[in-house]
Amino acid sequence: MKAMSKITIGLVAAALLMVGCVGESAKASSKTGASNIVTEASLGLRKTDLYTEDSTTASKTEYRTAQAMGSTKIKRAFQDAPPMIPHDTTGMLPIKIGDNRCLSCHLPKVASGVGATPIPVSHFTNFRPHNIIKNGMFKKEVDNYKNEVSIKETTHLQGARFNCTQCHAPQSQGNLAVENTFEAVYLQKDGAEKSRWSGTSLTESLDTIKGGANYITPEDIANANSPAGASIWTHH
Amino acid sequence: MSLSRREFLKSSAAASAAAAVGMSVPAELEAAASQAEGDWRWDKAACRFCGTGCGIMMATKNGKIVAVKGDPAAPVNRGLNCIKGYFNAKIMYGADRLTQPLLRVGADGKFDKKGKFVSVSWERAFDEMEVNIRKALKHGGPESVAVFASGQYTIMEGYAAQKMMKAGFRSNAIDPNARHCMASAVVGFYQTFGVDEPSGCYDDIELTDTIVSWGSNMAEMHPILWSRVTDRKLSDPEKVKVISIQTYTHRTSDLADTEIIFSPNTDTALWNYVAREIVMRDEKEGIIDWDFVKKHMIFAAGPVNIGYGMRRAGEKSISPVNADGSAGNYSALEMQTINKEMKTTVSAKEGPALEPFGYKAGDTMKHTGGTLGHWEISFEDYKKSLEPYDLHYTATIVKGNPDENLESFKEKLQELANLYIEKGRKVVSFWTMGMNQHTRGTWTNTLAYNVHFMLNKQARPGNGAFSLTGQPSACGTAREVGTFTHRLPADMMVKNPKHRAMAEKKWMIPAKTLNGVGKQHIMKIHRDIEDGLIKFAWVNVCNAYQDSASASHWIKAAREMDNFIVTSDGYPGISAKVSDLILPSAMMYEKWGAYGNAERRTQHWRQQVVPVGDSMSDTWQWVELSKRFTVKDLWGSYEPSGPRKKALPSVIAQAKAMGYSENTTMYEILFANKIAKSYKLDQKDPIQTGYDNSEGYGDSRNVVGSDGEVFNGYGFFIQKYLWEEYASFTRGHGHDLAPFDMYHKVRGLKWPVVDGKETAWRFNAKYDPYAAKATEKTGNSHAFYGTLAKALQSGNLTGKDKTTKKKSLANKAKIFARPYMDPPEMPDANYDTWLCTGRVLEHWHSGTMTMRVPELFRAVPEALCYMHPADAKAKGLKQGGLAWVESRRGKVKARVETRGRNRPPRGLVFVPWFDEKVFINKVCLDATCPMSKQNDFKKCAVKIYKA
Repeated sequence: MKAMSKITIGLVAAALLMVGCVGESAKASSKTGASNIVTEASLGLRKTDLYTEDSTTASKTEYRTAQAMGSTKIKRAFQDAPPMIPHDTTGMLPIKIGDNRCLSCHLPKVASGVGATPIPVSHFTNFRPHNIIKNGMFKKEVDNYKNEVSIKETTHLQGARFNCTQCHAPQSQGNLAVENTFEAVYLQKDGAEKSRWSGTSLTESLDTIKGGANYITPEDIANANSPAGASIWTHH
Repeated sequence: MSLSRREFLKSSAAASAAAAVGMSVPAELEAAASQAEGDWRWDKAACRFCGTGCGIMMATKNGKIVAVKGDPAAPVNRGLNCIKGYFNAKIMYGADRLTQPLLRVGADGKFDKKGKFVSVSWERAFDEMEVNIRKALKHGGPESVAVFASGQYTIMEGYAAQKMMKAGFRSNAIDPNARHCMASAVVGFYQTFGVDEPSGCYDDIELTDTIVSWGSNMAEMHPILWSRVTDRKLSDPEKVKVISIQTYTHRTSDLADTEIIFSPNTDTALWNYVAREIVMRDEKEGIIDWDFVKKHMIFAAGPVNIGYGMRRAGEKSISPVNADGSAGNYSALEMQTINKEMKTTVSAKEGPALEPFGYKAGDTMKHTGGTLGHWEISFEDYKKSLEPYDLHYTATIVKGNPDENLESFKEKLQELANLYIEKGRKVVSFWTMGMNQHTRGTWTNTLAYNVHFMLNKQARPGNGAFSLTGQPSACGTAREVGTFTHRLPADMMVKNPKHRAMAEKKWMIPAKTLNGVGKQHIMKIHRDIEDGLIKFAWVNVCNAYQDSASASHWIKAAREMDNFIVTSDGYPGISAKVSDLILPSAMMYEKWGAYGNAERRTQHWRQQVVPVGDSMSDTWQWVELSKRFTVKDLWGSYEPSGPRKKALPSVIAQAKAMGYSENTTMYEILFANKIAKSYKLDQKDPIQTGYDNSEGYGDSRNVVGSDGEVFNGYGFFIQKYLWEEYASFTRGHGHDLAPFDMYHKVRGLKWPVVDGKETAWRFNAKYDPYAAKATEKTGNSHAFYGTLAKALQSGNLTGKDKTTKKKSLANKAKIFARPYMDPPEMPDANYDTWLCTGRVLEHWHSGTMTMRVPELFRAVPEALCYMHPADAKAKGLKQGGLAWVESRRGKVKARVETRGRNRPPRGLVFVPWFDEKVFINKVCLDATCPMSKQNDFKKCAVKIYKA
């Protein structure tokens, strides 16, 4: 079956209508024009007068003051999302070479003893291929044209994951500027607490083309049947 | 759109009904049907945020995004994202997504500039746009119709927008927010290499020994690149050196071996100091690679009295000049700075640097408008330009921390020069906004290449000066597609008649349709609205009314003058608030798209979910608008207008000769022509199987479109057509892009992609097929094959010798003599503190997306005023207390932070710009690099006091 015809979509739309489709009445009214009134001030994050600053103050930062040992963990936002920092970070930042105080509690061998979230195995895994200069030429360890990966579990925290605050941040307590309707779905019972990203799950679903090659073929390079794509420079 | 369980059941019914009669079903329904079994569908995509261009894996379930993880196969980030990258999962789900067009109307239901917003149909929205575009065209021709474009457009959106603007409306008044972020880098590339985009790639990080960050807080602004730098540093801490050159201490310095705090704008002097060390010590130490330099380089200079890109005397909005010093719409205080556009007194600070160029401290410098002109000079002249930058002068003007010891500061400068010079040591220099948002930004960019060229440490693995881009597709869309006022795709220029002719031929439009005058850059568009020239402006994928300095002027012009401002966005930001019409846009993963990152890597993604409400992509909005205008509407003659001093001819007769009629629409010519329609929608194509295409098919929402009928799709694969047509400009021209399908199979490819292979190091004959070809006969190691400004006259540091003939510089690059100069506004007795603005890690640009993600909002809910504790104390301010930050242009309130992640020296504050409630661009100055027209957001003078 080639391109879906207009008729096909029309029929499916009709099928949808037969079983009832939300939003139709709203659409009918919007077609004729005006409905609900929206003021300029009600739009966006700033509800105060845009033309003066006198009555405008930013949302206040109110990070949790609980100390590291006594804090309550914050649920992961979705499966394998980086957990947020539930405790006061005063005196722990900035992170410097030779001075990363996050590690003193979160390294796995320490974490369970102090009730801290242990750094998961993904942070001890090296995902970066070792590319080198050989005989004066750059040489890659893996073939990017075939989406190859290089995944090596190690015993030390990976340098790429040294800057903890790149992904993990403290959380202010006030009201949100705007609610968010995202709904988390976890793949395991304790997904809100734990990372499951290790072992075979690291390479799960990396082949994203179904029913075709997940690498570049000679046909792809030839790009036949692309009348718009021929170089405009060949005649110049 | 989310499919609730009830809706899902309905879709299942529809799917089986469709299957029963042997039809294919829309992908969304098919996907929904299979996912009820608990499946997640994972697909690759690109991150929405910075210029790094990380790959993500994105999971959808029941038509909604449920998770994001780092893509282990993505070469850029290999399984890791930063906090923003992970939370791409939530960016489309803020509760106040725009779902319907909103128009300001009066009590009678008609458009009223002073009215309140009401939701209207797409048909009504396009009716209003059509009427107001026609009005604008009548008022001042194509120059009165403008677009605030974007480095966050998908490549297809950007291409559609610029095609309709330039070929349809014949207007070059389209310019992206990338002007604010990358223009100085671009002009630096053009002047130095003759072609845009960096020579290096991210693999440089793992291959280098030295990382020097010039005014760039990579740790927050390019976090994944910084994680690669960190990894490299930790892998060999003794050998690998990290130098952080900044105007204040921040996270990038936290990882550095050495931090150099410089006084704002003096990075120009610091580069010249390093160059001076190279040149002056060369005779004794043999530092310069003369063989390389002689084969590949020439030396060049240009005028220095080029102003600061502000309004010039005589412009409508600063006329008349009043006795109290005010002028037109501008106060006397504002004019104190603006007057420097015409004339300055050379300061003691810049005097020595300007002496080789014929000025000394105390002289009056009369400025003419910025020019790109330059000429060849001798090496001896270049050497002369460097003489002033001895260690003492340099250290004295560069040292930015008043509490630092001058002698130990000097040692750090020497260390810096020595690291660059050290034989065999590989060095990468990174920069972004610090060097670009600079009233001498173009100059400073070229100075970076000088140092790397002389040492033969450019365009080689692990070696190079590397301009990082800010936005996810500043390179891929804004620059390469040519959504700038002066550009056409693939480095072609509207000014060049040959380039116009080639574009006209490709676009199947009559010869002489394209307008050859492209001068309405983004600040000019704001100023032209204030001057009353532009009557219609459309904000696309940016936030032009929050992101521009001197913001109060542009907002006032939008709200109070006779014009029509439209904003398309996913969420209502400041631009939407001050618009007359707001259009709901489909966001990143609600459409097919592609971005091009800072290492020339193009990455495509598929539509993951159906858009919310009635929102539709920007491509759709442009294509629908094109249906409203015909040959006779747009292609008649136009009198001179604005920057265009000649009439534009009518091309209607030629259009008829080509087989079009007066009533043929732009839609039929530009977007739905015979070739376009040959790109088929096909659910058997593995690239398309199972994926929605709201532009192609329409979708289950049955959005009522621009003609009042349900939109059932264009019926062809419009995104692929736009991609392939755009790529035709690049192929065989040093910018080669691969076929559409290839990008869907791999994690991006770095252009030029020749015979299916990407290019890692440009200009290097070992890695770049274009350079290999250009060096076949000479056997040279490199070819700087860009073609722009590659024939020059000669002169010296004070001017061009007009009697000389132009000499060809084919395959050569340029080393420029360019002095340190002061910015136009510096702290004084009344406004005693430097203000620097920029971003923070957790928020993207104006915060419209990231402020709606709970984790990101809670991480940084407000823009703070970062300042030195001693300054706070001296001004009677407390940590966490409110302060006014006030310039000659306006003031905002912010809380004082004296012990945060950003730690300025005394005399400087940093206030980020993401927060609508701390509207810092009301305070900032709209001075630009006069060559690149890029705004300097990093420097203006403020006073700070308790609120």
